[in-house]
Amino acid sequence: MSLLNKRKKPEPKQAGGLPELDSKVLEVIKSKKEMAIWTRDLKSETNLTDAVINKCIKNLLNSSHIKEVVHVQQKGRKHYIAAEFEPSKEITGGSWYVNGDLDTTFIDELKNLCLKIIRKLKVATADGVYDFFKANRLTNTECTSQQVSEILRSMVLDNMIIDVKSTGLGEYHSIPVGQVCYRSPPGDLNKGGPKTGALVSIPCGICPRIRECTPDGLISPTTCVYYTKWLDF
Amino acid sequence: MLSPHGLKLAAHIISTYFGDIVCKVCECLLRRGPLSQLEVTRFTELTKQKVTDALLVLIHHNCVQAFTIQQPGGFGEPPKIMTKYMALPDNIIHHMRFPKFLSIVSDEFGQDCAEIFEGLLQHGRLSLNQTMDRYKDKHKASGENSSATNVVHENFSKLAQARYIERCPAHEPFLEPLEEGAKKRAKSKIADATQTLEARALAAAAPMESQRFLVEADTLIGGVLDDEDSKKSSITDIVGEKRKLEAETESWETNERKEILWRVNFEEFIRRLRHKSCVSHVTERVDSVAGIVLSAIFEASRKDETRVKTEKTVPLLLETIYEEAMKTEEGRSLTLERVRAALVQLGCELPTIGIDETYSIDLKKIIYQAQAQEVESIVLKKYGREAYRIFRLLSERERRIETDKISSTTFVEKKDALKILFQLWKDDYLNLERVGNEAQKMEIMLWDLNKRSVWEQVLDDMYHAALNLKLRLVHELDHAQDLLRVLKGKSLKEGDEAAKMRKKVQDKWKVLEASFMILDDAIMLFHDF
Repeated sequence: MSLLNKRKKPEPKQAGGLPELDSKVLEVIKSKKEMAIWTRDLKSETNLTDAVINKCIKNLLNSSHIKEVVHVQQKGRKHYIAAEFEPSKEITGGSWYVNGDLDTTFIDELKNLCLKIIRKLKVATADGVYDFFKANRLTNTECTSQQVSEILRSMVLDNMIIDVKSTGLGEYHSIPVGQVCYRSPPGDLNKGGPKTGALVSIPCGICPRIRECTPDGLISPTTCVYYTKWLDF
Repeated sequence: MLSPHGLKLAAHIISTYFGDIVCKVCECLLRRGPLSQLEVTRFTELTKQKVTDALLVLIHHNCVQAFTIQQPGGFGEPPKIMTKYMALPDNIIHHMRFPKFLSIVSDEFGQDCAEIFEGLLQHGRLSLNQTMDRYKDKHKASGENSSATNVVHENFSKLAQARYIERCPAHEPFLEPLEEGAKKRAKSKIADATQTLEARALAAAAPMESQRFLVEADTLIGGVLDDEDSKKSSITDIVGEKRKLEAETESWETNERKEILWRVNFEEFIRRLRHKSCVSHVTERVDSVAGIVLSAIFEASRKDETRVKTEKTVPLLLETIYEEAMKTEEGRSLTLERVRAALVQLGCELPTIGIDETYSIDLKKIIYQAQAQEVESIVLKKYGREAYRIFRLLSERERRIETDKISSTTFVEKKDALKILFQLWKDDYLNLERVGNEAQKMEIMLWDLNKRSVWEQVLDDMYHAALNLKLRLVHELDHAQDLLRVLKGKSLKEGDEAAKMRKKVQDKWKVLEASFMILDDAIMLFHDF
């Protein structure tokens, strides 16, 4: 190889001011729009070597043509997206995710607020709760009516509230008959969370060794340490 | 059929009530199904006399039912008639509920009835005359002899009328071989073919509904039997009913016209406790008014309920329910409109036409909710809140859901959700189905609740836990007795210690016994309701 060839030729610049390879990479990334692309896929689509691709990406990042995004389901894989696009729901995991992590503080905050609203209103539909949010400007963070319904549904699963169908009578007079609405559970459930079952209130209910426990075995009710601890008063 | 630990618990109950020999015979029957006396002797390796005695004790305490059956003979031999014995696991387990049954009777009818009832619990089967003798014996000292007969007769009738006691079933009903039988009965035969041998034997032994709770006839022993007409009119469609009657007649005749024996009707108590459990669940889940309305419905339809596991209550008019609710103190302030609202909350649809509106409550759903609540609390305590949410989602939807959907609906990170799902799957709570997609090299995992297996497992664990509570109680009492024996006769200071210890054992006993009663409610919820 001659000395002349060894020296790098300045890469031919395109009209946009980017070197040829950079723009080729950028084109591929742009073609994926809001879906973003994984570096390995980028490599196979452009037929360039790792080193070249890495350099291109570095250049493009520096010139703010592209940005890195975290894929919620493949956090270890680097994904890139063109600067003018916002990552899709599939990539971010939807409105509940921040940088690929579940935004638990926001969720908990929203849950608490919803619980307070439902306690105050006694009975409310998802829209009713959302309207209350908007009317009273309870939170600085933006939230949509879709988010509120999702939160309410998960709270039902948590047994913090229960879902009932409106009867149109009594407390439900303002809600059309048959519409799903939410209320706080009556009685004990309201205070202490879900009811403690009969089985879990004795040591055997949650015993990790219950399968090995026999009347005359090594683990038996007469020698059980959990029992001894339970009956120690 | 009981689960493995259910069998162990039943055996333990029999052993504490009747000793080891009876327990051995009973366990043999529980594990192997109906057997002849010869077979029991062979399997248990006990002497014939001991087996006979044990079987008599078990039959007398309603833990075993005998029946005769025709078995095909060997080559060239005529068919043989054989007596077989089968254990009644439910009746055995009911023995641990006697305090509950007794308290129901004493709450409803007072001390006098409770005394008669207690006699039946203790002795298994008694005739009216024997009950009378028992009463006279007990009250001889207080000199109430003169009116004793009337009092006992009256209380006995009260108990029979409330269906708390019933006539004992036929001793050895004959089961007709299924292959034979008139053509006319073909239809009912098909229906019966699905029944097990045990169910057929029980149906054949049961006294007729018309006589089951009849006290007056007790004094007329022979008279009732001659009254063929009344018998024919009430014959039901059970196979072998006619033969059964003949067998019954024969057995009574051969038994030298013995007095009619009575026993406790467990079915009625289970029905009562089922009602109570439904009402308390509804009160807790909906509100107290719904509870009042539901118990009014039970009260009004009490006479019409024939089975324990009724799925839906008999349709009742709104007015009837209202009237019944008004009879209770809490229900007096209710309005018709409020009762209607409560019925809707209980899952009833409002009728479109306002005339003659009738309502029927879906009890199966209420029972299912109560069972689900128990299982959920186990999941919560064992696997944590996130697992609880996932479990509730799967139990609510009753269909397969993919991992991503589960993770997003329950707000659990996908990685954590997968971990929880696999843990639950490993412990047999869930079913997993992998759906591959070759083109995208992707695999979707679909999950759903393995309800049957979970429910069975929970019930077996409950039996196991109940047995453990009983064994621990025995152990604690033995241990305390040993210590007290050592302390006995020592100085005053050590006497104090003995008193302290007695108190401690008493506390332990209370905790264990109370836990056992609560656990037993849960067992009934899963097995009997």
